[in-house]
Amino acid sequence: MKQSRWISKLLPSTNEQIENSADLETSYRYFSKGLFIILLGVAMIPLIIISVLSHYQYQNLLQKNELTQLILNLEQSQNTIERFVSKLQSVIKFVAPDDRYQELLDPENLETLFSRLQREYPDFADIEVIDASGRQKSYIGPYELSNNDYTGQTWYQEVLQRGVYISNVFSGFRQVPHFVLAVSRNLPGDKGLWVLRVTIDGKTLQRYVETGAASFLSDVYLIDAEGVIQTQPRKYGHIGEKNIFASHAAATRYNISENLVDYQELLAKNTDVSVVKAPDGQELLHAAIDLQSTPWRLVLVKDLYLHGDDWLFFQLRLFGIILICVVLMVFVILNISNGITEHIRISDKRRQHFFVEAENANKLASIGRLAAGVAHEINNPLSIINQKTGLVMDYFSLTGDFEHKQDMQQALKGVQQSVDRCKAITHRLLGFARHTDVVIEELDMNLLLQEVVAFLAKEATYNQIDIVFELDESVEHIHSDRGQLQQVFLNIVNNAIDAIGSGGKIVLKTGMIQEKEIWIKVEDNGPGMSREVVRRIFDPFFTTKETGKGTGLGLSITYGILRKLGGRIAVDSEPGKGTAFEIILPIRNKLE
Amino acid sequence: MIDGKILIIDDEVEFASTLCQRLALRGIDVRDAHSGTEGLEQIEEFTPDIVILDLKMPDMSGLDILSRIKQSRPDIGVIMLTGHGSVAAGIEAMEKGAFDYIMKPVDLGELLKKIEQAHEQRKKE
Repeated sequence: MKQSRWISKLLPSTNEQIENSADLETSYRYFSKGLFIILLGVAMIPLIIISVLSHYQYQNLLQKNELTQLILNLEQSQNTIERFVSKLQSVIKFVAPDDRYQELLDPENLETLFSRLQREYPDFADIEVIDASGRQKSYIGPYELSNNDYTGQTWYQEVLQRGVYISNVFSGFRQVPHFVLAVSRNLPGDKGLWVLRVTIDGKTLQRYVETGAASFLSDVYLIDAEGVIQTQPRKYGHIGEKNIFASHAAATRYNISENLVDYQELLAKNTDVSVVKAPDGQELLHAAIDLQSTPWRLVLVKDLYLHGDDWLFFQLRLFGIILICVVLMVFVILNISNGITEHIRISDKRRQHFFVEAENANKLASIGRLAAGVAHEINNPLSIINQKTGLVMDYFSLTGDFEHKQDMQQALKGVQQSVDRCKAITHRLLGFARHTDVVIEELDMNLLLQEVVAFLAKEATYNQIDIVFELDESVEHIHSDRGQLQQVFLNIVNNAIDAIGSGGKIVLKTGMIQEKEIWIKVEDNGPGMSREVVRRIFDPFFTTKETGKGTGLGLSITYGILRKLGGRIAVDSEPGKGTAFEIILPIRNKLE
Repeated sequence: MIDGKILIIDDEVEFASTLCQRLALRGIDVRDAHSGTEGLEQIEEFTPDIVILDLKMPDMSGLDILSRIKQSRPDIGVIMLTGHGSVAAGIEAMEKGAFDYIMKPVDLGELLKKIEQAHEQRKKE
């Protein structure tokens, strides 16, 4: 399988022969770390992007929402107050038709009108009639009739010009805020303009301002053209003072113009929406709009949503969720990357193990083929020697007695015996390579071991070697090849006898492994073997015996047979302490 | 005593001739051939009752010769000579009509026994 380049760069390179296992460990650690970082990145980056985007989006949405609310409220309040003022104007105009001038000069009539008006509008403070020359002619209210001449005053000029006049709020008598509403009327017969002037308590205005304001607003009030406060604000300032926000536009990331695209029409009417800073440093949303046909501007002030607890909670929640996600991710990904690395480490180890096994098997096979070839080649001349010897012996038996005949026959017998020995060697060599058919039968391993030992008992006794059985009687019968297993144990016990030399002990043990396999141990207290010998012990032609005494094939044949039978063999040896072979065999054979 | 004619086909001249001599010493009418082609000629000329046939020869394999014999002279008993470890080849030859096989190096007593058995088999047929 072809791996993409970057992942293969990351993977530990076990294919190369890394002699140093510490290097390999480092490369696994590197892999694990790399995997952790990549997975974490893959998981975290989208999370963070989404969080930032949603944070931004939510902030925008909130801004837009609160701006819309503010604007709607601004319009509503504006309408309420404008309607109130225009109604006041209508009422005054209605009660003072052009031809009622003479009638209203009479204080009694004016008094009647005033009390009627007061019934409707209790906040009317006084009323007066001014003649065409600008003099006060009649007055009902807390002051005395003063015959004031208003000619020089601007409000009088304005009412003459425009027909109606509304004043700023001022603190009149008893320091109560008031404002003035005046209308001019024609005198019959085109003899100039007379004026009806009413003073109204500022409370009325205050009431209307308060009525229109929604509860979410932190303040609402009126200011005049110069920015002087006209109605009592809830929090920010007092009547008669300058609006504190007039010069307090704060630089902010609040996106007003973008969020108010839908309200262009409103903005055209000299409306001003901005973010301002309160004296305590808090940022506020401030909106002001002109009130038609009055000298006033309506001001709404609102705490910024985004600076309120709601926004803080949202941010805390968002941050909390991200934190939990990150902790979980780190935990899970750490486990995953460690798990995968461990998995790779194990499968690498297994692969290396198989590689060694395969190499062993391969070595055996090729040496086996070589051995078979050699044996085969030797076999031909051997059979010629065999036949020639036979022929000579034939002739001898046909010939009468002659000198040294018996000696020569004896010599020929020696040749024949040597040929037989050679035959045995080639037979073994060929048997080593040959894929003989395995004959599976049910057999009792304990019995088989006793039979094998019986073969060697004589030799053992001669060398003063005790052979001891520690057999587990409950070991199940196994299904395997009797002849080949005999060869296996003959080899191993024989080796043990050879290793001990004289005077020692061989212990044969059996036992079960989880009802599927049995184990057999052959332990001797001989001289043991060095690590180098143990490592090469199953190699063909490797022998520690004197030249001519061993072929070096015994244990490699044993190894081959056990593999064929589905079993395995391990050796444990320590110089000076002895050697133990452990053989494990399946109870049921795969070849069946 | 064996009364039939026997042909030995083996490219190993020394082996074939020695075996031939030893059988002849036992009063058997026996000849040897040292290649596949020669063997086939001798079968025509000498008309043996039993052929002892080597499995491996340079010009022709024993199995080829066996199938030729079985085509032209199915009555001939064939005993195959095999090296050690070629039990499978011997069995294959038997499946293709050989009477039996014997492994090298050949034990003469064993061979004689097999020749006798082959004769008896032929007589039955």
